[in-house]
Amino acid sequence: MLSYIVRRTLSMLVTFVVVSVVIFLMMHAITGGPFDGYDMPLPDNIRARLMAQLGLDQPIWVQYLRYMWGVLHFDFGVPYQSPGETVLSLIAQAWVPSLTLGGLGMIIGAPIGILLGTTAALNRNSPIDYLASALATLGLTIPVFVISMLLILIFAVWLGWLPADGWGEPKKWILPIMAYAAVPIATYARYARSAVLDTLNKPFVTVLRAKGLSERRVIFQHVMRNSAIPMVTIFLPMFVGIATGSIFVEAMFRVPGLGAFFVSSIDKRDYPLEMALMLLLTMMFCVSYLISDVLYAVLNPRIRIDGGER
Amino acid sequence: MSDASAADLKLTAPDLPRQHSPLYFAFRRFLANKAAVGGGVVLLIVVLMAIFAPVITGTNGNDQAFLTQALAFPSAQHWFGVDDLGRDFFARIVYGAQVSLGIGFSAAFCSVIIGLPLGAMAGYLGGRFDWFTMRLIELFSVVPPLLAALLLATLTRGGVWSIVLIAALFGWVNVCLLVRAQVKSFREKEFIMAAQALGASPWHIIWRHLIPNSVSPIIVGFVLAIPLAMMLEASLSFLGIGVQPPTPSWGQMINVGMNFMFFYWHMALFPTLALAITILSTSLLGDGLRDAFDPTLKGR
Amino acid sequence: MTTPALELRRLTKRFPARGRIGTQGDGGFLAVDRVDLTLPRNRVVALVGESGSGKTTTGLLALRLLGATGGTILLDGEDITTLNPKAMKAYRRRMQVVFQDSYASLDPMMTLGEIIAEPLGIHGLLTAAERRDQARRWLEKVGLDPSYASRYPHELSGGQRQRVSVARALVLGPTVLVADEPTSALDVSVKAQIINLLQDLQADMGLSMLFISHDLSVVRSFADEVVVMFRGRVVERAPADRIFDDARHPYTRALLDAVPVADPKARRRRKFLTAEEIAAATPRFAAHELEREPLLDTAEPQLVALAGSHYVEAVVGG
Repeated sequence: MLSYIVRRTLSMLVTFVVVSVVIFLMMHAITGGPFDGYDMPLPDNIRARLMAQLGLDQPIWVQYLRYMWGVLHFDFGVPYQSPGETVLSLIAQAWVPSLTLGGLGMIIGAPIGILLGTTAALNRNSPIDYLASALATLGLTIPVFVISMLLILIFAVWLGWLPADGWGEPKKWILPIMAYAAVPIATYARYARSAVLDTLNKPFVTVLRAKGLSERRVIFQHVMRNSAIPMVTIFLPMFVGIATGSIFVEAMFRVPGLGAFFVSSIDKRDYPLEMALMLLLTMMFCVSYLISDVLYAVLNPRIRIDGGER
Repeated sequence: MSDASAADLKLTAPDLPRQHSPLYFAFRRFLANKAAVGGGVVLLIVVLMAIFAPVITGTNGNDQAFLTQALAFPSAQHWFGVDDLGRDFFARIVYGAQVSLGIGFSAAFCSVIIGLPLGAMAGYLGGRFDWFTMRLIELFSVVPPLLAALLLATLTRGGVWSIVLIAALFGWVNVCLLVRAQVKSFREKEFIMAAQALGASPWHIIWRHLIPNSVSPIIVGFVLAIPLAMMLEASLSFLGIGVQPPTPSWGQMINVGMNFMFFYWHMALFPTLALAITILSTSLLGDGLRDAFDPTLKGR
Repeated sequence: MTTPALELRRLTKRFPARGRIGTQGDGGFLAVDRVDLTLPRNRVVALVGESGSGKTTTGLLALRLLGATGGTILLDGEDITTLNPKAMKAYRRRMQVVFQDSYASLDPMMTLGEIIAEPLGIHGLLTAAERRDQARRWLEKVGLDPSYASRYPHELSGGQRQRVSVARALVLGPTVLVADEPTSALDVSVKAQIINLLQDLQADMGLSMLFISHDLSVVRSFADEVVVMFRGRVVERAPADRIFDDARHPYTRALLDAVPVADPKARRRRKFLTAEEIAAATPRFAAHELEREPLLDTAEPQLVALAGSHYVEAVVGG
């Protein structure tokens, strides 16, 4: 068991390092640093001085090592677009809206999805079942910015009920949260439905019913527990999807979060910010996959006994 | 030859009626899945529209013929209205279908080209090759395709073919996994051992036995790769690093539509609907095919 | 004595331990333990034992479909134990196999004609048209209508599929045929047909056949010699009639006892022994009772020679 955790952690570390190298190399392969987009080309010697100042003239692997060393100390450098602050402080400001909206989207979406999926499974092949399955498919296949667009069109443009701009007051949060919640609802609805269906078909449920247990107890005590494992472990990786979606949701609803920064950093070729964001996200993903793998191993007695040989 | 065997002929070979192959039953299962069939029909319609775009719309989609009526709402002459640059919006949408579907199918095709041989070899040869392939897949799974695609797209500054390649770069994983699983399940089967006993080389076995038996994962992988690619393209175009104007792309149009949506809602609505419907129908078709070929895959 | 068609000398296969339940103490599962087996020309040797005895593994080792951990395999007197695939290819023409699972033995996506013609194609023999002809001829030889060449495996019954497997195995004209439980999955009446087919073809082609089975009743009419395996070792080896009339090893007797007897009056009281009881009941012989000197001077059980080419695993003691 412990060996399994250690193995997964090492594997994730390796993956993370490899990915960080790849990202780093890609960023520097973009010919054109922060000074090439300007209208007035800088004279060569000034440019050379500036590059040296920012450490951009060293060999690649040196730059990489220096950078990673800094990362370990939480030093991500200074963003090109606002040299007065550090990348870290920019991120610190920006992550609040992203986390709030995305987190709420997930926290609200997951239970709704589970409820939807369970209801669908219990009323199999009824209109509710078909509706739930349809909604789940919609949520999963349609890209999040399309969903956002539809939400804006329906609720903001035509019905005029909700604002679609910025994120100052809670009223403005509703639509973005709905957009974020779509994927969790759909995913959990699917998982819950198939997990409950699977468990309902298992022989031990028939035995429980034969023993005279009331339907409600059968469902809540036994069926749900067995279905819970995959649903718990999927929570973190879903977080990954939300983070990716934030790029679009924040663009559509004009929320000043990490996603918006990501887009603008690409636009402005702001290496430090872009690099930091990519690394941060990759690290989050690696960690969340690791945690969910370990969690799955812990919860699943079969793996626990066999020693985690997947 | 002794008489016993000749007599056996009569006993063991009554005239059998031709029976149905497993593929036939898969087809029947597919037809029973109404959502999947519906998706297929809609997709077919969109594909036909895309192919016959010039005929249907009568223009080439880029003519700014109606500048004086820019941003006009839908009417009898302009079913979807007119866009901000004076182009008939219906024509733009239809040509957008060409671009989206074209990219989707091309990317899916490239995904298969990459994923099929890798999956077949990883499944059959096992050992180090398999280990290496799985590590590679793991690498690709950790990084969200969208983000990596963003990065790559900024490198290449967009353009149709880079989008296709980028989408294929993330689509091959699924195809590879599906083929690998199928090959692994067949690898221990006796007809493979028999071929080995006959002296067949690994290439012969992969090419002549394993790949033909992998038709279903190939088809499923191909069809499922299409909506993925289309989503990637739309997302990138939305952010401005995908398909570049004036080539029409629904993602691009949604971006433009965002600026006008409060007053000229048709600019936002139609590309959104077009994208949603096309991706949805392709996904339903792909899911339906997957269920039809292997009902055990989904937790029904 | 002419060179045997196939000879296995001290053939061993150990599967590496991987944290499974039931591995032996030293780490690894000894599936085949120093097995000696000689298949003379134009003879049928039956290799019997129950599931887990190692008989199927032995067959796979002999065919080099599995890698041996130790020992030697000689095909027509030539050592093929460690040849690489390229070198093996030529030898594979001489040694073929028929498996138990008739459905899994045939590629579901190929027609019967293609299946039977494939071996010819792999070895680059004949033209395409000639190969098709051969396929049709062989369909007839195994008792199927040649028009079946365009059909697919799923359209046939189990017995018919086995016939196709036999045809595919023999189309190259091998000298050795390994039949791994070819009838075990078939109905009783079909079993007999396939056995008859194999007997006829064996006589026609002078095949040397290694017939692997767990069912002694199937073997009786058919085999020249019977080799009995138990837990990876050969425990008895004798001409067929001697095995049935005068089995010496307790395991062989247990196997024979398990064969259903038609005459109710002749019903013996069956003794179902456990594996431990069988191991404990290893026969003992004094040295003078043996036909030949025991090979090894040891108190461990070894294969000793009794009269009439009869070998039994026994302990030699005074």
